[in-house]
Amino acid sequence: MSDRKLPRLLQTPAVVLLLVWMLVPLGMTLYFSFIRYVLNNLRHPEWTSPSVSNWRGFGNYEFVLKSKDFLLAIQNSLFIVCSILFLTVILGILIAVLINKSFPGQGIVRVLLISPFFVMPAVNAVLWINMILDPVLGLQGIAVAGINDTLDGLRHLPVLGSFFSLWPEFEPISFRATQTSAIAVIMMVTWQWTPFAVLIFMTSLQSEDQQQKEAAVLDGAGTWSQFRFLTLPHLGRPIAIVVMIQAIFHLSLYAEIEIVSRGNGNKNLPYLIGEFANNNIGAASATGIFAVILANIVAIFLLRMVGKTLME
Amino acid sequence: MAIVAQSSKFSTFGRPVLAWGVGLLFFFPIFWMVLTSFKTDADAVKPEHLIFFKPTLENYLNMTENYDYWRFARNSIITAVSATVFTLFVSVPAAYAMAFNPTRRTKDVLMWMLSTKMLPAAAVLYPMIFLAKGIGLYDTHILVITVLSLINLPIAIWMLFTYFKEIPKDIIEAGKMDGVNTWGEIKEILVPLAWGGIASTALLIFIFCWNEAYWTVRLTTIDAATLSKLIEGNRAPEGLFFGRLSAVSTAAVGPIVVLGWFCQKQLVQGLTFGAVK
Repeated sequence: MSDRKLPRLLQTPAVVLLLVWMLVPLGMTLYFSFIRYVLNNLRHPEWTSPSVSNWRGFGNYEFVLKSKDFLLAIQNSLFIVCSILFLTVILGILIAVLINKSFPGQGIVRVLLISPFFVMPAVNAVLWINMILDPVLGLQGIAVAGINDTLDGLRHLPVLGSFFSLWPEFEPISFRATQTSAIAVIMMVTWQWTPFAVLIFMTSLQSEDQQQKEAAVLDGAGTWSQFRFLTLPHLGRPIAIVVMIQAIFHLSLYAEIEIVSRGNGNKNLPYLIGEFANNNIGAASATGIFAVILANIVAIFLLRMVGKTLME
Repeated sequence: MAIVAQSSKFSTFGRPVLAWGVGLLFFFPIFWMVLTSFKTDADAVKPEHLIFFKPTLENYLNMTENYDYWRFARNSIITAVSATVFTLFVSVPAAYAMAFNPTRRTKDVLMWMLSTKMLPAAAVLYPMIFLAKGIGLYDTHILVITVLSLINLPIAIWMLFTYFKEIPKDIIEAGKMDGVNTWGEIKEILVPLAWGGIASTALLIFIFCWNEAYWTVRLTTIDAATLSKLIEGNRAPEGLFFGRLSAVSTAAVGPIVVLGWFCQKQLVQGLTFGAVK
């Protein structure tokens, strides 16, 4: 066997598998998105199995674009992803700078910090929405009740009581509600992914040029300007990578959204697809194609940003 | 010099205190879950037993009865281990070829592989269900293993590629001189040299498979249902079962979190494709 053929042969299984994995389901989604295909329809039983004779053209796309949930889902997808990215990058940088220098117990703090990243998403969501955020039985509910009880006690004090009676009762927040469920999802995912950002920024900080820093100190540079002009530029590439990887993962968030509110007031694109697919596979497939387009826009954008640095 | 003095004062007191505070804050939800798992369901929701309570193992002992834990755990182990093995079986030769015999197209192939990760799962789920039901594979281990392998294949190839790239080519060439065939090269020279890299790739892929919650939940009903499915199925117990739910959650994530502690360094290299060192 020649030297040139063999490497190709070794790659073949991986390439073929991924090619099939990408093309077959995607091709089928594309096909389904142009036909009428529903799971139940008494008047048109012929629509319940995919067939070219049920061709609908762009009808499914039109239907999806006209549904009021579609724009909301895209907005919400972007809102959730951007919020998580913003929070994890800022928190990640701050924490990485904080724990990068050695201090007693640095190793243990690292272990404590990284742990959330390995918790499975389903457990993460169940844990936060029930045990921590529940307005009555969770820690939030218990804390709010405790504060209200204390305030109540203070109101009965002889002199100060009149001051404390001006204070309002605190209301616990229900994170399963329409307006707040996105916040709960952002909170739990940020908790899970900030450790990831910290880990990557820390690794990068360790390769920072220390001599340059010492020189800066001798030149009278303060802590802030060291951070602003040396550390931050050094973190440019890791930030780009953290953004890219998280964007890939968070555009397809599902378990957290399902567990927090069953998508109530908080649908993202994958969730909307799931809802359509309860009956209308055609519409779900058209939404899926929109999701692919959105992911590709993000991907092109990100790969341009990161692609070159990856190959160095 | 004033700055140096200032920062050293912060280093002695402020930094450790703040850093420990942040570490404990992030770990707190996990600690809380473990703590709650030792409370009875009744105690778990009583404010007076928030911290002081009579610890019990009852939640762990009744895990099989309450949730049929071991059936789901068994499925998680079978699918995650098999998918990891299969992924390595395909990705080691591919990464080997790309690292030691790169062609002009290798970079493009690698980028293309990465781009398959960006295909939204929701967009291709229903065709997969349709196909799986058509050939009678729905809710089987084979199906879950196949899907888990495919979604992790790009990451495995990237990780291994970055490890293999660091190995001097001369060593492999020397093996060629000795007349070792390709399989022998991989087995006798590459695997011993890159053992650490392959092991941490395996560990990371295993963790990803174990935690996967989109495909595994939607491609299974009973027979091949994993722990993700079990937990998602008990999403809203309305506070009645905090104790037992915490116990089953702890059992589901505990081993993985501990495994994760041992591969945090490799995690960085793996997930950043070696771009952050």
